[in-house]
Amino acid sequence: MTAFSSRPVRVVVLGGGTAGWMTAAGIARLLPELAQVQLVESEDIGIVGVGEATLPHIRGFVEKLGIDEAAFMKATHATYKLGIDFRDFGRIGESYIHPFGSFGEELNGVGFHHYWLELQRSGMARPLGDYSLAVTAASANRFKPPAQDDSLASTYGYAYQFDATLFGPFMREFGLSIGVERHEGKVVSVDRDGESGDVRALVLDDGRRIEGDLFIDCSGFRSVLLGQELGSDWEDWTHWLPCDRAAAMPCSHATDELRPYTTATAMPAGWRWQIPLQHRMGNGYVFSSAHLGEDEACEAIRAAAEGEPLADPRILRFRPGRRARSWSHNVIGVGLASGFLEPLESTSIYLAQMAITYLIELFPEDGQIDPRDRDEFNRLVDMEYDRVRDFLILHYHATTRDDSEFWNHVRTMTVPDSLAEKMELWRKAGRIEKYSDGLFYDASWIAVYVGQGFLPQQHDVRPALGNPQQLAGAAQNLRSAIEREVAAMPGHRDFLHAEAARLSLAT
Amino acid sequence: MSTPREPLRRVVIVGAGQLGVLAAIAFRQALPVCQTVLVGQKPSPASFADWSPTALPFTNKLHDRLGIEERDIVLKAGGSYQLVTRYEGWSGNGEAGTVSFGETLDPSLKTAFARDWGGYRQDPLGMRPAGSLSQVLADAGRFAPPPPDEETPISQIDYALRWNPAAYRSLLIERAKALDVQYVEGRVEHVSLLDTEGSGGIRAITIAGQGEIEADLFVDCSGPEATLLASMPEFASVGWSASLPTRTVYTGQIGTPVIALDDRISLGPLGWLTQTAGRDGLYTTLGVGEGVERDAALGALGMQATAAITISPGRAAQPWIGNVAAIGDAAARFEPVGPYHLDLAHRQLDLLLEMLPGREIHPLERAEYNRRSSLMMEGVREVLAMHFASAGARRVLGDMALPGRISDVIDQFQRRGRIPFREESPLLAQEQFALLVALGFKPGLPPAAHHRDEREEERARAQFAAASNAALQFAPPYKQWLVSVLQPAAKT
Repeated sequence: MTAFSSRPVRVVVLGGGTAGWMTAAGIARLLPELAQVQLVESEDIGIVGVGEATLPHIRGFVEKLGIDEAAFMKATHATYKLGIDFRDFGRIGESYIHPFGSFGEELNGVGFHHYWLELQRSGMARPLGDYSLAVTAASANRFKPPAQDDSLASTYGYAYQFDATLFGPFMREFGLSIGVERHEGKVVSVDRDGESGDVRALVLDDGRRIEGDLFIDCSGFRSVLLGQELGSDWEDWTHWLPCDRAAAMPCSHATDELRPYTTATAMPAGWRWQIPLQHRMGNGYVFSSAHLGEDEACEAIRAAAEGEPLADPRILRFRPGRRARSWSHNVIGVGLASGFLEPLESTSIYLAQMAITYLIELFPEDGQIDPRDRDEFNRLVDMEYDRVRDFLILHYHATTRDDSEFWNHVRTMTVPDSLAEKMELWRKAGRIEKYSDGLFYDASWIAVYVGQGFLPQQHDVRPALGNPQQLAGAAQNLRSAIEREVAAMPGHRDFLHAEAARLSLAT
Repeated sequence: MSTPREPLRRVVIVGAGQLGVLAAIAFRQALPVCQTVLVGQKPSPASFADWSPTALPFTNKLHDRLGIEERDIVLKAGGSYQLVTRYEGWSGNGEAGTVSFGETLDPSLKTAFARDWGGYRQDPLGMRPAGSLSQVLADAGRFAPPPPDEETPISQIDYALRWNPAAYRSLLIERAKALDVQYVEGRVEHVSLLDTEGSGGIRAITIAGQGEIEADLFVDCSGPEATLLASMPEFASVGWSASLPTRTVYTGQIGTPVIALDDRISLGPLGWLTQTAGRDGLYTTLGVGEGVERDAALGALGMQATAAITISPGRAAQPWIGNVAAIGDAAARFEPVGPYHLDLAHRQLDLLLEMLPGREIHPLERAEYNRRSSLMMEGVREVLAMHFASAGARRVLGDMALPGRISDVIDQFQRRGRIPFREESPLLAQEQFALLVALGFKPGLPPAAHHRDEREEERARAQFAAASNAALQFAPPYKQWLVSVLQPAAKT
């Protein structure tokens, strides 16, 4: 009931997977007077459902939509996540946790990692993760939400590990409850404006025409509108990120322990995930089909999974890369239809969420698309994808592994210039190229560099100028404070039970 | 195994204005094993960072880190507090605006303000509500710096400090002496390069009547002449004349003292005029474009001028070449519409300390410094360009080219109330938002704000009103507080 728009923009979302229902629910909830949202999905088309682990940003999304965290966690059998435990990436037998949090604190304008490198030189350093509250809590299987102040207890974030096959339906139910109109059917043809080339309507197998002003392509890898219909070029990144398959297999929990973190273990032709949910353990082997056959991958995941298999391994196929333009004409790709980066850092749902957020900011209010908004959207989406891409490549390239053809390839390949320069700056001087936009900041880069044994040749001189015993003492004080903090945290499972009890009392 | 860098043995800072002295303090503190030599004389009036009587809130943080006490600035250097800047004349339609520091508004309130500021809803009295707690306090003339270790109704308020530049410089010199910074007075007569191509930088400089000084790192704080950087064979400039119109700046005689929480940046028929309130007097600066006669300019300044400075705006393409890093006016020349010179110089100094090299300087760390330092400089140019894109400025100074993504920023702001993120900008998004409003641009509404949650906005308004009342009750009358602080000091 505002005077700003004449009639709502007709938004048609194609695809009922995670990205599709997140988009439909997001637009319907946040632009109720500007947009009228319809979603086309077919029960005959499967859902990829990759991305059981998430990043802390998902909390903002859920909150913004007005969804109760506890209800959401119950519905998706979610657990808490403090980071990812990377095993055998830099070298077989070594591991590190990339936390949602920081290591130590900057002192006199010098980053903590320089002090750590100096301590390490004098043989007085504990592993870097010991100076991170998130890493220490994760290793102890403990969890508590961070404090909302400036104290040590505020130096981390958290995300969820949930059942992606339940998240989509949860968002669907939510979307339907706030007025998204759902159409069951398959698209058989696309009506386009002869002059502008814009999409006018989707024609379904039963002859229905779903007309719209704006079409959101969430059709997954098929990219029915953006790729097939509009032919937006695909930038292929397989040469940097050769993994293009996953063999996924759920298992029962093998032990009572419930890890508040995801585990990524490097394998001869890729890596495998273990994602602890409330009721089961998600497992999968992400591999390069150029280096391993699908049957062998299925065998490998069967052999590696620790609990009782709950299903046969299922093969997922994907291609790393992104569309040259995620918004073309009046079609916007969200999720796999616009790009794909393997789930090594659990970025899939983030990348969909990021596109939805920018789309809402740049939404064409009267249905008329301003090319400046489209360009801005594409600029932002490209920046996000490219930065995540470089960070993922780092995990493969910063390694000494030479035990398989796959690792030999990724260790010796030529990486993008943008990454080569970052790595060289770190190698020479222990410094991080600084950006405030995009996804992964200093602490993440340091976690991977140090965790994978890619140490700089030199660090800042300032930590070496003080008294080494004093420096060691300060580091020990930090460690003791972290230990006290973690000792006071409840166990991950206990905290989940307490939350469940709170929820059942509330309802 | 990583080893620490071999430390710099000697760093030479050329330029002994308030920027050079602070840089010397910063290097001396960061690297006590390194000899720090400050070379030069008082800079020319054209070195704006060196004569700026104020900066932005970032400087307070830098001061804290360097052990320069705010209290000392207040007691010994004529220090005073600035909460807001008033903009007048820029909109071209008589509307004025106020900009405060920080990013503290509740998002719902921001939306509500966007509606009010954008003129979507007219208040029957034609009054806009105050945009921030700072403005509420400045309007009421109430403020005292909040106690640092206590949560108070005004703890969220960000402020800038003002001072008397000569007294502030003396205060810094006192501190530099205590830290054993060495001082050599004199002009740089000769620069000896490390090798014939000069890519390695400077081996030594010769000071008139003092002999030669070698160093591992040279920091150029010499002002717009860029004594050291400009003597490097690879030195090159990026011209900004197409986007920044000011060609002559007149600095006025210091007027009568003013105790106020606000400063003014206004646009008149000939150019822009800034007025900075100082306890020692009002600082006035006028900037005009090409072709304005001196007499006409002096008329607009309204007082005698102490200097007329010709400006040819631009920046160093590479502010760090070899072992020479330039900061402040030696790196970028532009008009002083607001205290961006000293803020930029301090942020560049901070970056140089963050990237503190060893005796051996890696080309990639220099490249990273140059990337970020250039982003900082271009960020300042873009903020200045916002001023000159206003309707009033275009009428007075003509249409200028819009640098970087400013055209997109203004477009996004006007259609969507959106400020795209920009790395190393001198202003936070909310500050840019308020500045654009103050310059007469009307913000559009973000799509998500079309759906109006009246209850949420009402809650945010009520909360802001309560916070305003609490702040007004907590903060004493500013003048009274200042007198109370200064009186005991005067006795001792």
